[in-house]
Amino acid sequence: MKKLFDRVFDGADEMYAMADKALAEAVTELGESAPMQMPNTAYNLACFMAYLGKNINTLGDLKAAYEEAKTWNRHDPRLGDAFSSGMGTFMAAETIEACKYARDPDPYKGEYHGHLTDAEVRELGVPLVTDDIPGFVVIHGPAPSEDEAVELVKGYQTRGIFVFLLGGIIDQVKAKGMNFGFNVRVVAVGPDTWQVAHIISFVYRAAMIFGAIQPGARAEFDEYTYYRIHAFVNAFDPVTDLVVACGAGAIAMGFPVITDDEKDMWRVPKSILIQKNTQDWIDTSLEARDIRIKITNIDIPVAFSTAFEGEIVRKADMQIDIDGAKYDTFELCKTADSLDIEDHRITLIGKDFDEFDQGSAIGFGIIAEVSGKNMQSDFEPVFERNFHNFLNCIEGILHTGQRDVLRIRVNKAAYEAGFRAKHFGEVVYAKIMSEYDAVVDKCQVTVITDPETLKTERAAAKKIYDKRDERLGSLTDESVEVFYNCILCQSFSPSHVCIVTPERLGLCGAVSWLDAKATNQLDPNGPCQVVTKDRIVDENIGIWEDVNECVFKSSHGNLEQVTLYSIMNDPMTSCGCFECICGIEPFSQGVVIVNREHQGMTPLGMSFPEMASMTGGGVQTPGFMGHGKQFISSKKFMKAEGGPARIVWMPKDLKDLVRPKLDAAAKELYGIDDFTDKIADETVTDDAEVMMEYLSEQGHPVLEMEPLI
Amino acid sequence: MSEVQAFTTIEEMEADTAKLTEIACELCVETYEERKKAQQPQCKFGEDGICCRICSMGPCRITPKAPYGICGADAHAIAGRHYLRMAAAGSACHSDHAREIAHILHRTSESGPFTIKDPAKLLANAQEWGIETEGRDLYDVAHEVAEVGLMEFGKPFGTLRYLNRATEERQKVWEEQEIAPRAIDREVATSLHMTNMGNTADAHALVRQSLRVGMADGWGGSMMGTDFTDILFGTPTVRETVANLGVLEENQVNIIVHGHDPSFSEMLVLASESKDVIDYAKEKGAQGINIVGLCCTANEATMRHGIRMAGNFLQQENVLLTGAVEMMCVDVQCIFPALGRLKDCFHTKFITSSPICRIPGSTYVEFTADDAGNAFEKAKGLVREAVENYENRDRGRVYIPSHTQPAVVGYPTNQVIAELDGVTNSHVEDDPRGSYKPAIDAIKSGVLRGAVAMVGCNNPKVRADYSHIEIMKELIANDVLIVASGCAAQAAAKAGLMRLDAKELCGAGLKRVCTLVGIPPILHMGACVDISRMMLLVTGIAKDWNVDTTQLPIVGCAPEWMSEKAVAIANYVVSTGIDVYLGIEPQVKGSTQMMELITEGTREICGAGYVINKDPHELVRSIIAGIERKRDLLGI
Repeated sequence: MKKLFDRVFDGADEMYAMADKALAEAVTELGESAPMQMPNTAYNLACFMAYLGKNINTLGDLKAAYEEAKTWNRHDPRLGDAFSSGMGTFMAAETIEACKYARDPDPYKGEYHGHLTDAEVRELGVPLVTDDIPGFVVIHGPAPSEDEAVELVKGYQTRGIFVFLLGGIIDQVKAKGMNFGFNVRVVAVGPDTWQVAHIISFVYRAAMIFGAIQPGARAEFDEYTYYRIHAFVNAFDPVTDLVVACGAGAIAMGFPVITDDEKDMWRVPKSILIQKNTQDWIDTSLEARDIRIKITNIDIPVAFSTAFEGEIVRKADMQIDIDGAKYDTFELCKTADSLDIEDHRITLIGKDFDEFDQGSAIGFGIIAEVSGKNMQSDFEPVFERNFHNFLNCIEGILHTGQRDVLRIRVNKAAYEAGFRAKHFGEVVYAKIMSEYDAVVDKCQVTVITDPETLKTERAAAKKIYDKRDERLGSLTDESVEVFYNCILCQSFSPSHVCIVTPERLGLCGAVSWLDAKATNQLDPNGPCQVVTKDRIVDENIGIWEDVNECVFKSSHGNLEQVTLYSIMNDPMTSCGCFECICGIEPFSQGVVIVNREHQGMTPLGMSFPEMASMTGGGVQTPGFMGHGKQFISSKKFMKAEGGPARIVWMPKDLKDLVRPKLDAAAKELYGIDDFTDKIADETVTDDAEVMMEYLSEQGHPVLEMEPLI
Repeated sequence: MSEVQAFTTIEEMEADTAKLTEIACELCVETYEERKKAQQPQCKFGEDGICCRICSMGPCRITPKAPYGICGADAHAIAGRHYLRMAAAGSACHSDHAREIAHILHRTSESGPFTIKDPAKLLANAQEWGIETEGRDLYDVAHEVAEVGLMEFGKPFGTLRYLNRATEERQKVWEEQEIAPRAIDREVATSLHMTNMGNTADAHALVRQSLRVGMADGWGGSMMGTDFTDILFGTPTVRETVANLGVLEENQVNIIVHGHDPSFSEMLVLASESKDVIDYAKEKGAQGINIVGLCCTANEATMRHGIRMAGNFLQQENVLLTGAVEMMCVDVQCIFPALGRLKDCFHTKFITSSPICRIPGSTYVEFTADDAGNAFEKAKGLVREAVENYENRDRGRVYIPSHTQPAVVGYPTNQVIAELDGVTNSHVEDDPRGSYKPAIDAIKSGVLRGAVAMVGCNNPKVRADYSHIEIMKELIANDVLIVASGCAAQAAAKAGLMRLDAKELCGAGLKRVCTLVGIPPILHMGACVDISRMMLLVTGIAKDWNVDTTQLPIVGCAPEWMSEKAVAIANYVVSTGIDVYLGIEPQVKGSTQMMELITEGTREICGAGYVINKDPHELVRSIIAGIERKRDLLGI
């Protein structure tokens, strides 16, 4: 039998030989001064950056760094050298891919995903910490049959595992017409083994973004990937030396390899597992990587998984179109007297889906009534807002909106599988009972399609929404007794802590003060703890001794002080999964805000990934701050520096989203009408000088303010 | 990355010793270092094993001019006889220790003080020996097991029962080579007989008997001592402990348990936990009672009770020199007679307890199986006496070095398997629980290069603990897993090498294994008598691998050995097919034939031999090369 390490070393040599050739050709063709930039990332050639601490901007830089990467290909018969060669193989693979991107920034033309963007890394922050994505699998194909390929991928997908595909399996799942893409968490990375570099780059960027690991700190990367990235590899027979070399790199990072190839394959506990029965791969793999999946059994005829959260239902595939723009729609969660409800009763009022024609647009309402000794009315909106997440996880269902403006689509496949109106009730019931069992004892759900009932019930719901808004409006940082902290992200970003206040939600946008309060009461020892605010230092700019003590303790001594309403002095840190990043714009002495979805440039000359890379990982970076979208219109938004009037530029979509509340806040704070219009966006310019002209034309208030720096 | 706290260096340990030696100088009392100086130059003939004083015609010394003794014995015969006598004495030590344990087992009763703590192991042993267990009282079974065990010492016919625990290939080798040991006492007596004036002069035969008498220890007395100790006091499990002199407490009554046989120390530990004696200690102004161990009694007590370890062989005087010891209680083996004089400089009470080990200057309080019924009360009396002695401590003379290291200890074979179960996968057929398979897979794939059993004593011929620690560090850096016992284990613990985070000193392979399994890179397997556990460990691995022990990339190493027990051990380890790397030369150098026999000759008998090198760095290189050679032969 060929020795394991010899296989690793031969495979590494093979990859390096290919990289030698690719690099030489690229340099001859493009010259050493040719720019080398992967698209939409601030961590160019992340493998090189992580391992060698090198920032690569030109082919010449790559050539120089590659020489150093060669020294990683060491061949002493020790695991240390096998690991080093395996990681070197990743650098060689990244070199091959980088040369491809140097020639063409879009080499795969949509056929394969190739390089993953920083925004995609950040998008996974929240689902990773909430365990909605319990892990990642890299499947290196082809599977023995197309059916088996699809079965495996779907098996992972329904368990919420994020799937990366490499090689032959991609064509297999394509042939079976399977829907894939980043949004459904199945990514066809590329046809060849060396496209593995994109996956590894993705992982190392997560370590730099969320873990604040410094480039070049190999031991820290190793520890981060081993303990925090729950990834593993499934490699179908035949596993060549080249794949074994990549496997060594994966194992070095802590990712076990499961294969059905026995030839010259060596078992290594929890690292290389030979499982001949590919039907057992999922269970074998999850146990090998110690991934435990919380399963909620829901009695519906289609799959239920967080992987389907981003699934899109196109018009052509639509069976039922619940359209809140034209018909009455609403969702409501309310507390009821225990005696008045029957647990698990699901009632449908009106026609079921099979009584509507294919493609019908209809109205729709769903009311969940809950009871429980510890239930509080403040929890109702928290639960209700999660209906979106619950219903979106159903395979074949698209859900957007909340309260009484909904758009829900049921696709034909789900309908044909037997999905009907009351199944929405089943999902809401099952999820409420599993997620909130600490406070909910009983729950009954009413699903409505009858237009008359919808009209009256929607009106009744509206009264409840209004009452809640009144309550929300009265919730200010001053009016509440306590704040909460949130350390949910610490599984990825060990020293970050959010302080959540009524006027400043968590920077991921997912945790409001009410959410944090509910989380605390549902699990008193959980990730959200009460933070008192008795010892005021400066309430105006947001400094409390109690808050600082909490931050010091929760950040394990990494942070001593935060100023909640400032971005200049001890600003709140970020984990990396923030919705928006704002940064100082020096010409206007204002700030530019950009959201994760925005792809283009900003007047700072930096894109979202570049700005985002300035902060994160629980590190304080004055002048840059991550935050949630809803925070923009808060009166506490950089209050210490003058408030929202500092905002000089935002992408148009973001402006439209925050406009009503931002205008209202500006009116109240500064007496300015239509403030949002004074803010520049990409349709105006992404050039700082042009922006300055625009601000003058608009009479933007920032021009009258004291300089920031 | 998580912070790794400092390891204790050999220089730090030596600085502690130097400070304590200074105290000794001030008190005008000598330590071993001075006595060693006074002994220089040591007798070259003795060193080379060619001074014969077996009969009163001698002593005869072999020189180029006088190549034969008066009887005509040559250097080979003289060195060979001497060597066999050492092995026989070592075997007698462990085995007599085991005999005492067997007698204790025979005196167990439901009402104590000695009870059965591991009934499952008792029943397994009974079944192995064909003793009826069904429907019988546990203590009846225990007494019969003890009796059958005791018969192993003197049975007139047959070979030892434990031999059939070995691999089939091994058993065949032993039988064919006629080295399968008969009754334990017989092998000791035969050895003495063979070496008597006018008997065996053939070095080859003397070496062969050395192997056999060694086996009577490792596959007889020692193995029984270990098994019966587990039955009596519980099979060790993983525990956290602390090592080095800093475990002595400034404000507590310090009692040292020292030696090898745990039956005395077990009683002292139990007695010190009684509320009335603890209250009594508080009444006397102490914050509590601190029992700590020395030498192998420490190893026994730490892995069963987490009792902290003050140090190994060459620290026994240091412990007293701290001035903080109220009482030192010793049982058998490795006790310096010097303690009887040294204790006079302090308030320390020095208690000997065994008729095997009577020392001038000590107070003798006999603890034997015959008087087992009173053991607990006697122990309690001693603890009270130690408490009363607390007020006599001269606080001006107290110096307790601050160094300590946490350690994770207690890995008998079944615990090793339990740990390995944690890395199996329930969905993979060829990944069974309850076996050594995961470790074997790690070795086959090259993740681990092999394993080394680090054993043995300290010896003033070399820097104390230096060879142990240097060799261990080099081995773990090369992905070689270590199992350790005796003074070697304590050296590792004192340096911090038994901490879980000692994996940071390892190569990537061993580090990964430690991380996955959750073990330190050096597994504490117990006292020197527990080297029998290591024989069962390698046997278990060989069986699960389907090869013989001698094929495994596993070797033994005793870099600082000094005791005759070590000679017995080295012989049974070699008999088991495992090479032994020695850092101290056996005293046979005056005979080229003996040197050849112990390094090469035994390989023809049982497939293994000694590799000797006084330089620890060269020795560890040859260990690694030896392991790699074995790997090559296996094609891995």
